[in-house]
Amino acid sequence: MLRHAWRLARKDLLVEFRSRTAILSAVVFTVLVLMVFNFGRDPTAVAAVDLAPSILWVTFTFAAMLALNRAFQLELENQALDGLLLAPVSRSSIYLGKLIANLVFVATVEGIGLPLFALFFNVRVVPVHGPLVGIIALATLGFVAVGTLFSAMTARTRFAELLLPVLLLPFMIPPLIWAVLATATLLAGRPLSEAGGWLRLLAAFDILFVALAFVLFPATVNE
Amino acid sequence: MRLLQTGRWITVIGLALLPAVYVRAISFTPVERMQGAAQKIFYLHVPAAIWTESAMVLVGVASIFFLFLKDPRLDRFAEASAEVGIVFGSIVLTTGPIWGKPIWGTWWTWDARLTLTLLLFLMYVGYLLLRGAVTDPGLRARYAAVLGICGMCLVPFVHLSVYMFRTLHPQPIVLKPSAPSLPGSMLATLAFSFVVFTVLFVGFVTQRYALSLLREQAAPHA
Amino acid sequence: MPENTPYMVAAYIVAAAILVGYAVLLYRRTLKP
Repeated sequence: MLRHAWRLARKDLLVEFRSRTAILSAVVFTVLVLMVFNFGRDPTAVAAVDLAPSILWVTFTFAAMLALNRAFQLELENQALDGLLLAPVSRSSIYLGKLIANLVFVATVEGIGLPLFALFFNVRVVPVHGPLVGIIALATLGFVAVGTLFSAMTARTRFAELLLPVLLLPFMIPPLIWAVLATATLLAGRPLSEAGGWLRLLAAFDILFVALAFVLFPATVNE
Repeated sequence: MRLLQTGRWITVIGLALLPAVYVRAISFTPVERMQGAAQKIFYLHVPAAIWTESAMVLVGVASIFFLFLKDPRLDRFAEASAEVGIVFGSIVLTTGPIWGKPIWGTWWTWDARLTLTLLLFLMYVGYLLLRGAVTDPGLRARYAAVLGICGMCLVPFVHLSVYMFRTLHPQPIVLKPSAPSLPGSMLATLAFSFVVFTVLFVGFVTQRYALSLLREQAAPHA
Repeated sequence: MPENTPYMVAAYIVAAAILVGYAVLLYRRTLKP
């Protein structure tokens, strides 16, 4: 299953990275959001470090939404989804392949966004970059897992780009909040153990929802 | 149609009993010393909140059974529960701020019940929007079931988060809307109100279910 | 009158309005599905 999933992911990623439009627009969008946040606040009234975790996570969330909206669009445009379903690959492989592709896409945007964020807001990220990357990975896995499942459903509906964020929003809020709280703890120089509760919630969320998505995905594509 | 008639009767009984709840809460239940009359909002707010959350559990459980059994009755029941969930959720989200304003000084607070109810409300709206966006009935039922199950699974996480947030950030005000130990007469009023809200929930869901059935019978799908 | 009574009245009216309103809505929808 893993092999199939990997092949599927590679196919998606090759298409995305060859055309480069998606990744470029996501990065440009990230820069834009960061800039707006910077000009939107009064530096004398609010310290960057207080707003920083929220800014970082809102930016990442938007980037994830961009990626997810496109997730099944490729297949839909060429009606390739039917072909994919006929191929001798298990439904779970299809989900896993999509998940991996989406994760790589979002991770790339985050990988570019994080240093930019540190630069623009003068936030000292390097001393805590290990745990910070961990938090980012946990939260991203959570919402991309749910988002990939939901995008399989919304792809065939009329207002897909509008519907997906609406459906996804309640599921992104808890991991987002936990991630912001954990990030705030880290950036404030406090030990990671203080964020332990939020990290455990993130991990539990990931385990449950990745498993759930695997189990439920076939219901979204079976005829 | 029998089911519809039953639903209507149950609803009528519930609506007839509602004034009795009001009278009991307003005139025959003591006024709470520190919150004054506003505390009485509790008798409507809490039962509504309980049913808003329970409706999500019903949607989730019905969805799980639907995916296994493929019985369209389960799907209809889930749809009905979700819609009634929105109605009761609206009660929580309106009475909550009205209560909060005199007690906490602000219309909105991120307290446990309001936050959870807001999230539930958003999920119900999403659920109904998804149903509205899918034209094929078989697909619609399956998609709704997937969303319903995910929604139900999210609820414990929200509870946990709110609990953790509270233990880290104690409420600045001593008063809590839900006192753990109530004097007998207040408890009785709450219980009475809960029974009436339950009757209304059942009546509404029954009618809404009947409505789905009627619509399907009027325009049968392949 | 105990304090905060206007708030109580407002909330009680809103709740009743929602419940009765939905009941009426359902009744009318079920008359002609």
